[in-house]
Amino acid sequence: MFIMLIGLVAFIAIMGFTLGPRASLSWPEKFVKDTVGFVQSVFYKPAAYIAGFFEDVRNMKAIYEENEELRRAVAQYSRESANYNNMKANYEALKDELHFTENQKNRDKYEYRTAQVLSVNSDPNNRTLVIDLGERDGVRPNMSVTTVDGMVGIISNVSNFTSTVKLLTTMDAQDPNPQPISVTAIGKEDKTFGVVESYDEKTNTLLMTRISEDDPIKEKDKIISSGAGGVIPQGMIIGKVLSVQTSQYGQSRTATIEPAAKFDDWKYLTVVITPEEPE
Amino acid sequence: MARKQILVLLLFVLFILQGTVFFWLTPSSLQLQIYPNFVLVCLFFVSIYYHRHTGLVLGLLFGMLHDIVYYGEMIGTYSFAMGVSAYLVGLVFKSPRAPLPMMMTIVILGSLLFDSTLFGIYKVFRLNPTSYNWSLLHHMLPNLLVHFAFALAIYVPLRKQIELVTKNQKRKAT
Repeated sequence: MFIMLIGLVAFIAIMGFTLGPRASLSWPEKFVKDTVGFVQSVFYKPAAYIAGFFEDVRNMKAIYEENEELRRAVAQYSRESANYNNMKANYEALKDELHFTENQKNRDKYEYRTAQVLSVNSDPNNRTLVIDLGERDGVRPNMSVTTVDGMVGIISNVSNFTSTVKLLTTMDAQDPNPQPISVTAIGKEDKTFGVVESYDEKTNTLLMTRISEDDPIKEKDKIISSGAGGVIPQGMIIGKVLSVQTSQYGQSRTATIEPAAKFDDWKYLTVVITPEEPE
Repeated sequence: MARKQILVLLLFVLFILQGTVFFWLTPSSLQLQIYPNFVLVCLFFVSIYYHRHTGLVLGLLFGMLHDIVYYGEMIGTYSFAMGVSAYLVGLVFKSPRAPLPMMMTIVILGSLLFDSTLFGIYKVFRLNPTSYNWSLLHHMLPNLLVHFAFALAIYVPLRKQIELVTKNQKRKAT
């Protein structure tokens, strides 16, 4: 009985200690994570290939249409990239003229690294993924992780060769370490502002709050992160507005957002590596 | 005999499989609903047919492994929930000769106990916004069915292996 009591207290202590934000993991945790991560990679890749093969056969018909669509997209892309390069050069020149510091100049230079998923924990209380990029590859906690469709989560913990991704589906306003994402809408970057801070599991939607009364946000707007606050980089695709409501206190409005990313069939993810800020 | 060690190693392989291969066998529509814990089902067998203390220790160990590998919010939840549910199952049903229907009942009750413990811990730390009823209907019950099917599949081979281990130990003791 006495031993049980001690065990209970010890567990509560462990949970409380590991709950808050931690700078890095201790070495036993890193060791276990890296070892298990290595074994998992041996199993996950072949399984993903086999499952992917059957899916490919099923999707054969859709591929032709998709190819046509992609061709159009590439044409548009090359037009726009010429335009982009021109604007970027202008932007850099203006930054120089305005005497931006090195630090300020580098702030929006992101590096994108592709990572392979090693394993999945689908426990709804704590949805996480393990990916095969770690501290050695420059990954740090709180970096954003995205698929081609949109943002899926942030890095919660890093060991030497693997890291754990906490999915957006665990986002909750009452969380002890909340990770709100400040967002805006494409095309209305200077007028729309809001914060995405919770995910509703019942309807599979995100909730955007703190939208002011005179905000021009409306249905079908594409929501991206605005980069304000500094943790989440600018331009991550979050989703599409389903509906806009007046919040329960009447002072501001809220919007329901359908996430752009699908939270299943994980294969490859992209980690957005932000430049290191000097402390 | 190294049978015991091999069984523990197989348990580790099962732990790896449930996060990798099993995930790919789940249809996309179910991937957001079920989160089977096959290691736990095996630990119920260990608690019943071998000894509850072994179940407790293995539960604590494999739970800790899960916690560290999938460390999202905090460490200790799986370790606690797996250890406690494996131990309690062994404590309440002290029947090393439990027949199939009884074992299936134990798996059902134990799996509900485990999921509820997890839910409770996350609720206490305010990490879980959903209500118990909703979670029961959408996560715990589908999960229970998967656990039940898995328990049926492994009942014969696993029970036989555990009984062989017990027999070997008795022979050594005499």
